[in-house]
Amino acid sequence: MEEILIFGTIQGALLALLALGFSLVYGVGGLLNLAHGAFFLITAYIVYWTIHLLTSIPGLSYYPLVFGIAAVVGLSSVVTIGAVTYLGLMKPLQKSHIGVVLVTFAMAFFFEQFVKFVGDPKTHYIVPVVPGTVTLLGITFPAQLLALVFGSVILVTLVTLFISKSTIGKSIRAVSQDPEAAELVGINTDMVMMTSVMISALLVGFAAVLYAPGNYIAPRIGWGYLLLAFSVTIFGGMGSIPGSILGAYVMGYATTLTDYLISPSFSQIVPLIVILVMLLVRPQGLLGKKRLQ
Amino acid sequence: MMKLQFDWRSRLSRFRVWALSFRGGITLLCLVGLLLVPLTGREYLARIVITAMILTIFAASWDLLAGFAGQVSFGHAAFFGISGYVTAAFVKFVGAPWFLAIFIGTGWAVVFSLLIGIPCLRLKGPYLALGTLAFALILYNLFLTGTWLGGTEGISALPNIGSVFVEFYIMAAFMVASLIIMRAIVDSRLGTILKAIRDDEVGADAAGINTTVYKLVAFMVSGLFAGISGALFVLDITAVNPAVYQPLYSFYAIIMASIGGIATIYGSIVGSFLFTLLSEFLRPLAAASLLIFATLLILIIRFSEEGVMNPFLEHVRDLWDKIRGR
Repeated sequence: MEEILIFGTIQGALLALLALGFSLVYGVGGLLNLAHGAFFLITAYIVYWTIHLLTSIPGLSYYPLVFGIAAVVGLSSVVTIGAVTYLGLMKPLQKSHIGVVLVTFAMAFFFEQFVKFVGDPKTHYIVPVVPGTVTLLGITFPAQLLALVFGSVILVTLVTLFISKSTIGKSIRAVSQDPEAAELVGINTDMVMMTSVMISALLVGFAAVLYAPGNYIAPRIGWGYLLLAFSVTIFGGMGSIPGSILGAYVMGYATTLTDYLISPSFSQIVPLIVILVMLLVRPQGLLGKKRLQ
Repeated sequence: MMKLQFDWRSRLSRFRVWALSFRGGITLLCLVGLLLVPLTGREYLARIVITAMILTIFAASWDLLAGFAGQVSFGHAAFFGISGYVTAAFVKFVGAPWFLAIFIGTGWAVVFSLLIGIPCLRLKGPYLALGTLAFALILYNLFLTGTWLGGTEGISALPNIGSVFVEFYIMAAFMVASLIIMRAIVDSRLGTILKAIRDDEVGADAAGINTTVYKLVAFMVSGLFAGISGALFVLDITAVNPAVYQPLYSFYAIIMASIGGIATIYGSIVGSFLFTLLSEFLRPLAAASLLIFATLLILIIRFSEEGVMNPFLEHVRDLWDKIRGR
C-alpha cells in the first residue's frame, strides 16, 4: 500500500509536469504539439552534453555546480526552441489544424534524428545530482525522485498562480476563452500563444532536468513522454489546467496500482484503455469545460 | 451488335480526347513509365517502386477518409496491421493462396473499421484523432505482449508471390485498380455527400443526409483500401511483426498524403513516391540521411500547404500551354 502511495505520487508529479504545458498550449491556441516529447528529449541531451563538456575542464569537479550550469543551458535552449518553433512553424500554419500536427510531428522526428546524428544512437546515463537514497514509510527510493516531487509541486503551483494572477496569465485565459474578442480588446494573441508555448517548453524542460538524471536516455524516448502527456490531457480534459493536474495524479496512482496488481507489462495498456473509455463516456475529460458542438 | 460496336467506338474516341488532354497525357505517361521499370532489369529499383506503390494505396485510403469525409484518423495503422496479420496467418497456418488471403485480410480490416468507427464517430476533431490513435496503440500493445500469432517476433518466412518482376506487375495492377476505384468513389454521389459532411455537418444533417451512416461507410471504404495495402505489404516483405501497428505507420500515411496534397487521391502517388525514393536515395549518406529527410519534411509541410503536386502541375501546364502557343 505504501509503495503505491509513494511511487504513485512520484509518477503523478512527473505526469503533472509533462501534461500541464501540453494542455495549456492546446487550450490557448488549439495547437496539438506533437513535438512535446521531443522537447523533453532535447533538454535531456543538452544537459547530458553540457555535463560531458564541462567535466572535461580540469578545474570543474564539483558535480552540483556542473549540473546546475547544464540545467540552465538546457532550460534556456528548450525555451528558445519553443519560441522559434511557434514563430517559425506553428504560427504560419495555424489556420489548418492538421498543418500544426504535421509540422510538429516532423519536428519531433527531426529532433530524434538530430540527437542520433550529433551524438549516437546508444543509451546514456546522467548521474543523479541528488545522491543517495531516502527511506520513507519503510520504502527506500533514490533521493533524486524526492527532488522531482518537490520541484513538480513548486513549479505547478507557480504556473497556476502565474496564470490566475498575473496580467499575462489573464490574457492567456482570455485568449483561451475567445481569441477574437481578446484580439478586439487589444491583446496580442500571437504574443500570448508564444508565451504559452514557452511556458510549456519550460515545464517539460524541468521534467527532463528533474527526471532524466538517474534514468537512461536514448533518442527514441520522446515518443513515450508525448504519449503520457497525451493520455493525461485527454483524461483530465483538453485545455483544463486543474483537470490535467488532477488527471496526472489519478493516472499516476492507477498505473502504479496496475504495476503491483497485474504486471508491469500490462500497465502500458491500462492508460490507453482508460483514455478510450473516457473518450467514449465523457469526451471532454474529467474537468473539461469545452463542450463538443 | 451494331450498337455495341458504336458504343465501343465512342468510348475509344473519348479515351483519345482524354489522353490528349493535359491531365490524361500526364497520367498515361506516368503509367507507361511505371510499367517500363521492370524492363530495366534492376531488381533493387523494382523493390523500391513496389514499396512506393503499396504505400500509395495506404496514403490514398487515409486521404479518402480525412480529405473527403473530414474524419482525421491517427490510427490507420490498425487497419493496415490487422489485415497484414490475418493475411500472414492464413498463408502460413492455413496454407491459403495469397490472393484468397488478401480478401480475407481485407475483410477483417473492414470489420475492424466498423468496430472502431462506431464508437469513434461520437468524437470530433482532435478527439477523433486521439481515439483512433488509442485503438491502434492498444492493438500494438496487445500483439506485443500477447503470445498469439507469433507474439513479439510475429510471423515470418511466408512464401514469395513470384519473382520480383511478376510481383511488380501484380502490385501495379492492385495500385491502379484501387486508385481508379477510389477516385470513382469520390467523384460519385457518395463522394459529394462525404464532401458535404466534411464542409458542414449540421447543414448536411439538415438536408436529410444520415451523416452517421455515411461516415461509417467512409470508414469502411477507407479501411478496405488500407487493408488491401496492409495485406500487400506483408506479402511483399514476407513477414509481419507487431511493429506494423506502431503510430509511425499512421503518420507515414498522413505525411505522404499531405506532401502530395490532401483531398486529391492522386496526390498520394506523388507523396509516397517522393517519400520512398527520397529516403532511399539519401541512404548512402548514412547517419545524416534521416536528418536531411526530416529537415526536408519540415520545409515541405511549412511552405506548401496544398502539397507539392497541384502547384507543380500548374507550372507544367503553363509551360505546356506556352509550347502549344496558346
